[in-house]
Amino acid sequence: MPHSELLRNYRAPLPFFFPSSRRDISKETQLQFRSGIRGSNSQQLGFGLLQAHGVISTQTPQETGGSSFTALLELPPPQAVELLVNEDFREKTLPLIYHCNTALINRASKFSVFDTAGSAPEGNYVVSGSCSMKPDVVKQEPPDFDSHLNSSTPAASNQSPKSLKRKEKVNELDIKSKKVAPNDISVGSGDKLPYIYVRARRGQATDSHSLAERARREKINARMKQLQELVPGCNKISGTAMVLDEIINHVQALQRQVEFLSMRLAAVNPRSDINHDAFLAEESEPAVDNNYQSMFTASMWPEGQISGSRQQYQQLWHFEGHQQPIWGRVEDKSKFITTENSLFKLRFFIKFRYYKLTMAQFVIFKRS
Amino acid sequence: MADTSNPVTNSDLPRKKRNKAGSGRISRESSRARWRTETEQRIYSSNLIDALRSLRHPDSSSVRDAADKVLAVSAKGRTRWSRAILTGRLSFRLSQINRRHKKAAKPVVASKKPAARNNLPPLQRKVKALSRLVPGCRKLSLPNLLEETTDYIAALEMQVKAMALITGLLNATS
Repeated sequence: MPHSELLRNYRAPLPFFFPSSRRDISKETQLQFRSGIRGSNSQQLGFGLLQAHGVISTQTPQETGGSSFTALLELPPPQAVELLVNEDFREKTLPLIYHCNTALINRASKFSVFDTAGSAPEGNYVVSGSCSMKPDVVKQEPPDFDSHLNSSTPAASNQSPKSLKRKEKVNELDIKSKKVAPNDISVGSGDKLPYIYVRARRGQATDSHSLAERARREKINARMKQLQELVPGCNKISGTAMVLDEIINHVQALQRQVEFLSMRLAAVNPRSDINHDAFLAEESEPAVDNNYQSMFTASMWPEGQISGSRQQYQQLWHFEGHQQPIWGRVEDKSKFITTENSLFKLRFFIKFRYYKLTMAQFVIFKRS
Repeated sequence: MADTSNPVTNSDLPRKKRNKAGSGRISRESSRARWRTETEQRIYSSNLIDALRSLRHPDSSSVRDAADKVLAVSAKGRTRWSRAILTGRLSFRLSQINRRHKKAAKPVVASKKPAARNNLPPLQRKVKALSRLVPGCRKLSLPNLLEETTDYIAALEMQVKAMALITGLLNATS
C-alpha cells in the first residue's frame, strides 16, 4: 500500500538528508528532507500567515517565474503552504494548517492539481469541501495544530479515495484558466498525515500518472528553454527534436573547435623559455608591436616601472632566476616605447594591476 | 506572535534556498553568467598555461586533455561532467585493461546488431547521442542531462574563447 510507505517515510525524515551532494540523492530522500523541515516549521506557520502575505507576494514571482506546477512543486514547502493558506486568510476562513508534503505528489498518489491563485470563491469552496468531508478534523485543527505535525496514521488511506472523488467533483466546476502560475499547490490537511491536493487545469486528466508525467514534462521544458537561450538560433525552432538536434550540433562544433585549437597550441608550443606573466598580461593587449617579437617580453615594458612589485609577484609564481636579466633589457626599451604608445601603456598598466590582483588572489587560493 | 514567527519563516526560506542553490541546482544560478565572467576566463587561462608548461611532449591530444582537465578544475567539481572528466582520465588505463580482459573472457554479444536495430523514438535516440557527447552523463535522466548540458555548453564556450586568446598570444610573440 503506497500510503503506508508514505507514512514510513514521513516518520523518519532527517537521517536521510545528506547536504553535500543533493544531486545524487534519490527523489525520496529529498522529499524526506523537505518533510522533515516542514515538520519543524509548521508550528510557526499558523502564526505567521497574515504577515506571510507580503513575503509571498515578493517571492512568488521569483520562485515560480510564471511557469507552473512544477515550479511550485519545487518551492520550499512553507512557501507553497503559505501561498495557499494566504488565500484562506483573505477569506477569513478557518485557519487550516496546510502541510505541504511533496513526497506525496511525487509518489503519484491520487491528487488533483489545485488552482487557487486569485480564485477566492474557489478557495472557499474547496475549504468547505474538505471541511464537509472531515468536519471533525477541521474543528480539531485550530486548537492543536501541533498534534498532527508529527503523528501519522493509517487513516490517511481512507481519506484519499474520498478526497479524490471530492476533488474530481470540484474539478468539474473549475472554470478558471489561469495565465500565471496556473497550478498552485493547495494542501488539504489530512487528519494526521499531510496531503497535497492539486487540481488539474481545465480539460486535463487528473490521473496520478498523467500528473506525474506532466510535472516531469514541465521540468524538462523549463530546462530546454534554458538551453535554447544558450544555443544561438534555437529560439525560432519549435519542437523538441529539432532543438535537440541543434544542441547536439552545437556541442559537437564546440568540441571540434577545442580540438582544433589544441592542435594549434601544440604546434606553437615549445614553452620552456616562455615568461608566464607575459602571456597573461598580453591577454588584455593582444596587439603587440611586431618589432619586439624577438624579445618575448615585449609586452612587458610597462612593468619596468613597477618592477619592485614584480619581484613579489614573481616570488608568488616561483619564477626561475634567469629571468631577472630580462627585466633589465625591458627597462632599456621601455623609454623608447613610451613615446610611441603612452595611451596603450596606461591602459595596459591599469589592466595589469587589476589582473595581478586577481591572479595573486587566485594563486594564494591555489597554494593554500 | 506574528513577529516571532516571521523571522523564523523568513530565515528558513533563505536557508532552504541556499541549500537548493548550493547543493546542486546549477541551473538556478545562471550557469551562463558564471562562465562568462572575465575572472573565470583568466583563472582558466592561467591554469592552462601552467599545465601546458609542464607538458613534456606537446601533442595535440595531450594538449586537449590538459585543456579539458583545467576546464573541469575551474568548474570546481560542482557539475557531473567536470567530476567525470577529472576521475575519468585517472581510470582510463584501468578500464582499458579491464576491457581487454573481459573481451578475452566473453564472446562478443552484439546487443546492438544493426539488423535488429530497434528504432527507438528518434527523440530518445537524440537524447542518447547527447548523453554520449557530454562526458559522464550516459545514464542520466533527461532533466538532469539537460542541466548538465547547459553548464557544459557555457563552459565549452569559455574554453574556446580562452584558448583562442592564448594561441593568438603565442603566435604573436614567437
